[in-house]
Amino acid sequence: MHPAIMGLLTIVIGVGGCIGYFYFSNVFLDKVLYPPTGPNAGRNINRANQIRPWLFLFPALFALGLYLAYPVFATLWLSLTDRDQGGAFVGLANYRQMMSEDKFWEAMRNNMLWLFVVPAMSTAFGLLAAQLTDRISWGNFAKSLIFMPMAISFVGASVIWKLIYDTRPEGTEQIGLLNAIWVGMGGEPQQWLTLIPWNSFLLMIVLIWIQTGFAMVILSAALRGIPEETIEAAIIDGASPMQIFFKIKVPQIMSTIVVVWTTITLVVLKVFDIVLAMTNGQWETQVLANYMYDKLFRSFDWGVGSASAMVIMLLVTPILVWNVINARKEMR
Amino acid sequence: MNRSLYAGVASLALAAGMAQAASHLPFTPGEGDFNWESLEAFAAEHDFDGEEISVFGPWRGDDQQLFETIIAYFEEATGATISYASSESYEQQIVIDTEAGSPPNVAVLPQPGLIANLVSKGFVEPLGEETETWLRENYSAGDSWVSLGSFLGPDGEERLYAFPYKIDVKSLVWYSPDNFDDAGYDIPQTMEELKALNDQIVADGGTPWCIGLGSGGATGWPATDWVEDLLLRTQPPEVYDQWVANEIPFDDPRIVAAIDEFGEFARNDDYVAGGAGAVASIDFRDSPDGLFSSPPQCYMHKQASFIPTFFPEGTELGLDADFFYFPAYAEKDLGKPVLGAGTLAFITKDSPGARAFLEFLKTPIAHELWMAQSGFLTPYGAANVELYGNDALKKQGEILLGATTFRFDGSDLMPAGVGAGSFWTGMVDYTGGKSAADVAAAIQKSWDGLK
Amino acid sequence: MDNIAGQKSTLTWAVHISVLVLVLAWVFPTLGLFVSSFRTSDQISSSGWWAALSTQESQLPAIRVEGDETRDADLYVIEGELFVGSDTSVSAWGTSSREPEAYAPGETADLGDGEALTLSETGAYRLSGPESWEGKRLPRIFTTASAPPEFTLDNYVNVLTSDTAGAGIANAFINTLTVAIPATIIPILVAAFAAYALAWMDFPGRALLIAAVVGLLVVPLQLALIPLLQLHNAVGIGKGYLGVWLAHTGFGLPLAIYLLRNYMVGLPRDIIENARVDGATEFQIFIKIILPLSFPALASFAIFQFLWTWNDLLVALVFLGTDDETLVLTGRLVNLMGSRGGQWEILATSAFVSIVVPLIVFFSMQKFLVRGLLAGSVK
Repeated sequence: MHPAIMGLLTIVIGVGGCIGYFYFSNVFLDKVLYPPTGPNAGRNINRANQIRPWLFLFPALFALGLYLAYPVFATLWLSLTDRDQGGAFVGLANYRQMMSEDKFWEAMRNNMLWLFVVPAMSTAFGLLAAQLTDRISWGNFAKSLIFMPMAISFVGASVIWKLIYDTRPEGTEQIGLLNAIWVGMGGEPQQWLTLIPWNSFLLMIVLIWIQTGFAMVILSAALRGIPEETIEAAIIDGASPMQIFFKIKVPQIMSTIVVVWTTITLVVLKVFDIVLAMTNGQWETQVLANYMYDKLFRSFDWGVGSASAMVIMLLVTPILVWNVINARKEMR
Repeated sequence: MNRSLYAGVASLALAAGMAQAASHLPFTPGEGDFNWESLEAFAAEHDFDGEEISVFGPWRGDDQQLFETIIAYFEEATGATISYASSESYEQQIVIDTEAGSPPNVAVLPQPGLIANLVSKGFVEPLGEETETWLRENYSAGDSWVSLGSFLGPDGEERLYAFPYKIDVKSLVWYSPDNFDDAGYDIPQTMEELKALNDQIVADGGTPWCIGLGSGGATGWPATDWVEDLLLRTQPPEVYDQWVANEIPFDDPRIVAAIDEFGEFARNDDYVAGGAGAVASIDFRDSPDGLFSSPPQCYMHKQASFIPTFFPEGTELGLDADFFYFPAYAEKDLGKPVLGAGTLAFITKDSPGARAFLEFLKTPIAHELWMAQSGFLTPYGAANVELYGNDALKKQGEILLGATTFRFDGSDLMPAGVGAGSFWTGMVDYTGGKSAADVAAAIQKSWDGLK
Repeated sequence: MDNIAGQKSTLTWAVHISVLVLVLAWVFPTLGLFVSSFRTSDQISSSGWWAALSTQESQLPAIRVEGDETRDADLYVIEGELFVGSDTSVSAWGTSSREPEAYAPGETADLGDGEALTLSETGAYRLSGPESWEGKRLPRIFTTASAPPEFTLDNYVNVLTSDTAGAGIANAFINTLTVAIPATIIPILVAAFAAYALAWMDFPGRALLIAAVVGLLVVPLQLALIPLLQLHNAVGIGKGYLGVWLAHTGFGLPLAIYLLRNYMVGLPRDIIENARVDGATEFQIFIKIILPLSFPALASFAIFQFLWTWNDLLVALVFLGTDDETLVLTGRLVNLMGSRGGQWEILATSAFVSIVVPLIVFFSMQKFLVRGLLAGSVK
């Protein structure tokens, strides 16, 4: 069977299967298991309602458990064992070894910088783009162009920016945009990617450039969702556009801003393609994800590689806590 | 709508089928100076009609096309079908596939260090004593090839696991004969002459070298070749072997001296195009361009035999660009050492077809067919040297045969964490201004961490 | 009144200009790659892409004299054109890398031994000498010349039809679609149900589950590859489309659940409560109210998931395989670049070949994204 036909079939089976599962499991629950009739109607409704969330959640939980949670526990175990010793339990030895490496601390430092700069800048630019493009006739066109980097793979993006940061020897024509401008202003050609500490920021620009489109699309939808009345009321009260934006609109979409910020933060924690392709962590640009990749697939040091993965996952704890608090608040 | 979709799909499928059917045999069997008898004999002994053999290798692009022509002859001879696969991140892919239990039948890799790792985990099948004897007898300098393909198995026994096939020579210096003529320079025969030439070029207002270490995630590797070549020219080969095995530590004064020897070339602003600071970030693929620019940015470029792929379009080898042997010191009496690299084939999932494919690599024809095209060198004595596809290959073949010492790329032999990790990054640090001793000590420390 | 209108129009102009600046800043990098994809590798590495449109005077790499030898009286003569098919005009030239600008156009250079070379402004040359050049190296001509802009489609022809990629690019296209479409739809559906439960159903452990989903967002993909492929091999899925779909579903779910839940939480409570009071089952509420209202969120996640699966290389290589039959588009394009890495012209062209579909998807989905379906109901 041709894969394309197989693909179509799968979509039909997959979608049909999903809908069928949700439909029939609900029907089964309501009609067969705990029918809301007869002497126990009240108790049955309660029971059915206790079970129903799990019916809705089951496929997702199953997939998450299998594809993400299980590897996490496997990794946790690997980080505590030594494969060269036949998988013997070594306690925190891998972590100790990792902590003793300068490269790890360099990666930690850089990661903190990334975690602060990239989400902030992407969200800010995204918000700006969303707000401005909503007010003009060619806004959609402008949005598409700003969104375009999202459609380019990380590898493609690295190529684009390598071309921009390219350096040619002095005296020859620069083919990198940045150096062309720099030399045009009278500077000497610079090896941008080796220029500590600016090189880390030059790498961050690549991710900001990609993620701004994401922030813009989500925030734009949220901005459009703001009830007209509140804005009209503000205009009547004589608020300036700036005031309207910062005092009326931003607070109303705060929850969306936080979602966008969180999502980009998580992307930052995982990003390694850009660093790998552009500097491979040289010149003090190492980040944790690339450090982990290096340990896993270059050094085949599964212990330390897994340990650094656990560190990456630990870094997400503040976001985790915040989300728990938030969810509690919503439930009330 | 539906019908047109199906029609479209069908025609696409047809087009794909046609393209597949046109598998090309570049040389008609029976013609030319090839050892066709070896193919016939092989075909007579092996019949695997309908069997599928999966081969995974590092070759993509043009190399992949060349390898697929070799595969085509094997398929013709045996009736088996080979599905060849490669990937940009092939080192990672082969690890994942073997670890997860879905390896290809045969894998080909250029890094003995990585193969050693796979062998120690028990993912590779031994090739047997017979193949070992065969290598000893048929490859020139057979012992060194056997030791290259032998690794410590999971049981701690050393056996032959991988079969060397396709060699690159690394000790080459590329130059533009016209530029040498214009300036009146002669090809240096000794390291002393080469160093004199460096100063001569600077005195004439030129820049001798183009050096670029940039290679994305592998940035730094070209410098490891420099250091290895220079170590072979300053110390006896035994030192090299002990260094590769870490019996001599990385921060031994002899190794540090070799790194500094590289620094004489790369850390001298007058010697390298763009200045020493540019060396680490110039992409190795772009760096030879300086030979051909106007006015020339540099006169020489040291790189392995594959580099012409990256010369500007239309550059004719032997005419616009040529190479000479990276010379040895006349005063040190270490002969003519040659540094090389190559790929090794090994069995990751045993099957009669996989065994037969490795048998096929023992036939002269499997070497001659690739030699006659491009980019292939072989130490196999029975392969007809006259068949080399161009003069450049023939000359490289001569350098290979004229070598008094042949050593495999040390960084490929070291554990991947060093040879494809700290050694690379260390060399980048070195060109950035760190001292050789510090860099070497850091590399040694990372090596210790792997033990 | 006039004053306000005047302020307003200045403001509008400011908005237009700032958007323009923003758009230009975002487009410029991609534009560079786009222009580069129409240039030869020599052009890319010798001049900046922004110069591609203007006539440029530069020192060109040497071109070797070639052509058939003819006899003119007692001289051997070779004549030809340096620049065939382009309007290049020479301002200076030379025959030695030492002096690449030794002569003006029209002058004759004495090469010694009675050999002479003349070059005209248009690049026509005439080499004459008393002996045949048979078997000898012919001289090179260095020129400083200004050439009009020149673009080529060769890169695209190369990417789409070369033996390595061309034979299978149509196939790879279908493979990629086969991977991407189910891998987009299935996680959305599964996530939508889960997101609804997490947003609007009350049950113990809800907050914890939400936190777990967020935590799983950060799992590095590389970690999961080996255990999962092991699992697929063990249960008999092996390498194939089913495996890729499942893997993409698993990896895409946390973000989908997280985004959709946050969106659904913002839906107006009274609509749902009213429906419940009216006796609608949860399933009905979900299908009839939640899904339509969540359309913009579903559409935006669909776009992201599609882009991710389309651009993905690693998951496809690991779970689908790397041979010719199953290779996806990204895999094909990457293989074009040869075993020793990339060339800019190929990279640039590949990037644009693979970007076409995601862009079409984005443009066609965009109207769903910004339809403002929900005007007045997102908080």
